[in-house]
Amino acid sequence: MKKVFAVALGILTAIGGFVDIGDLVTNAQVGARFGLSMAWVVGVGVLGICVFAEMSGRVAAVSGRATFDLVRERLGPRLGLLNLAASMLITFLTFVAEIGGVALSLQLVASVHVLLIVPLVGLLVWLLLWRARFSAIENVLGLLGLALVVFAVGVWQLGPDWSALAHQAAAVQKPADEHWRTFAYYAVALFGAAMTPYEVFFFSSGGVEEGWTTKDIATMRANVFIGFPLGGVLSLAIAASAWLVLGPMEISVDSLGQVGLPVAAALGKVGLAIAILGFVAATFGAACETGLSVGYSVAQYFGAQWGKYVRPGEAAVFHLIVLLSTLFATAFLMTAVDPILVTEVSVVFSAVALPLTYFPILVVANDPDYMGEHANGHLANTLGSVYLVIIGIAAVAAIPLMIWTRMGQ
Amino acid sequence: MSDEQPRTRENRLTGPIDGALHLLDRQLIDSEGKLLGKVDDVELGSDSDGVSITALLTGPAALLSRLGGRLGSTLVERWGQLRVSEPHRTRPWRIDIDDVERLDSAVHLAVPRDGVLRRDRDGHRLGRLTGMDVLGPDGVWVGRVLDARFEPGAGGRLVLCSLIVGHGRPGSLLGYDRRSDQGPWVVRSLVRWLHRHTVIVDVDEAAISWAETTVTLRAVPHERPGHPFEKV
Repeated sequence: MKKVFAVALGILTAIGGFVDIGDLVTNAQVGARFGLSMAWVVGVGVLGICVFAEMSGRVAAVSGRATFDLVRERLGPRLGLLNLAASMLITFLTFVAEIGGVALSLQLVASVHVLLIVPLVGLLVWLLLWRARFSAIENVLGLLGLALVVFAVGVWQLGPDWSALAHQAAAVQKPADEHWRTFAYYAVALFGAAMTPYEVFFFSSGGVEEGWTTKDIATMRANVFIGFPLGGVLSLAIAASAWLVLGPMEISVDSLGQVGLPVAAALGKVGLAIAILGFVAATFGAACETGLSVGYSVAQYFGAQWGKYVRPGEAAVFHLIVLLSTLFATAFLMTAVDPILVTEVSVVFSAVALPLTYFPILVVANDPDYMGEHANGHLANTLGSVYLVIIGIAAVAAIPLMIWTRMGQ
Repeated sequence: MSDEQPRTRENRLTGPIDGALHLLDRQLIDSEGKLLGKVDDVELGSDSDGVSITALLTGPAALLSRLGGRLGSTLVERWGQLRVSEPHRTRPWRIDIDDVERLDSAVHLAVPRDGVLRRDRDGHRLGRLTGMDVLGPDGVWVGRVLDARFEPGAGGRLVLCSLIVGHGRPGSLLGYDRRSDQGPWVVRSLVRWLHRHTVIVDVDEAAISWAETTVTLRAVPHERPGHPFEKV
């Protein structure tokens, strides 16, 4: 019974934790402009994150080593350092976007200027990372993030023509007024948002925090292969609701309020309130995950003590990095930069950095000296190799597309 | 935490290891399961039995010099300049190999981490051996030292037995040259093709010149490396 509860809790937090500011904004933008014609990108992205999260989780369970340990070990100090700099830049940008996302969500309720909320959010995130237990952060915010299910309810309440939606998704029916190059740009952005590297930094480090052993591999797989796809369904619901409400009015999404607009149209005030709760929980949870990921990765590269399973005083370097990155992220937002713009940039650069993270994981997950009988099988390797190619293409295409389409205009 | 769970991996210190692949850049964990750094370099000592591993080196001074070439030595110099009043700042911290208990996916120490580090003595470093230019008997460039293989010798010391020589950088082998079945196929094929000139050289056939950072061979090598763990 306890086991069933643990698996269910893991799946629920994986659903709630899957969606972050990048998924919210990108799915709503794509939904409003392209409808469900990019549903296949979400599918490809979700399968990809499942494949690599499972690999990194398995490595963590078998060897007790988290992702950046593997990066340093296989790529050496030099390439590892370059990788660290690039990955941390992107994770930091995502961290900024998430804190900004929390502030924007709270602004929808409080109507106070967002710059007055940002410092408060920064302080709260840091206090939580410093004082709260790891499981508390993960479970409470993950479960509250489930409030985003209101988007699925909203789509159902809007009573769309289901067969038309399904046809649009299956036939990749791009609206005629959109160009293929903007389609490609948003496809890369959506893929980057689904496969953001911090998710595996956090997932594998979290596995080490919770002391996973080979016995936990089955539970971990259930979380990944049920939770993440259901999180992907939530992403699709956000896109579908945006298409149904914003699409006909030709509204393009450039604020968080517009992401929630379809729910308000479908379910009224209560629906919007639940959606905002979901926004706060999802972005707050992701802010904690990205903040921890910065600390995890830097500490893992240098070998310093990291993690919340020891008292903060015993992992001083780790907590110092978390404190400094929270301070810098807050300061960055106080320059009045638009968090939505930071989000858009962070998902595209995530796509560029994908191979840096996923290549070392694939190599180590195959090393029998490391993994013994738990090394990758044929299925994981076939998928891993296919995704290595897809990730490579997305990484190369991301920046040229960004310039060519002027960020999707 | 990781070290409390039952490990299926054997202790590598009792068998042959490849220094760069199995030892460099591994996590250091103390007797209480606390983390204290990475194996930033490995100290090698030579005596009548040959070259053997005497200590693990850690800390910025060791890490920075491994960033390579002129950049590495400049950064070590700058690291010293940050606090000139501190003696031996550019010398890395060392942990004697006798304090190491076990090697698997990490290096486990037999002692707690508090105050375990000592300053480096004058010793050679594995991070300098890997990357050395290798010359044939006629002085022709053969390649670089990509990895160094050690075997347990007299007194339990890990003694240098052979060098893996090839084109490219140390670490770029990713372990793929050593085992025929390691997947995925795409990566294995690519790495093996890039390293098609890689050979293994017995240390008795090689003269290591630490001063000139070159290795001179007595015969042109042909033997391909095989994995030390692979049961033949």
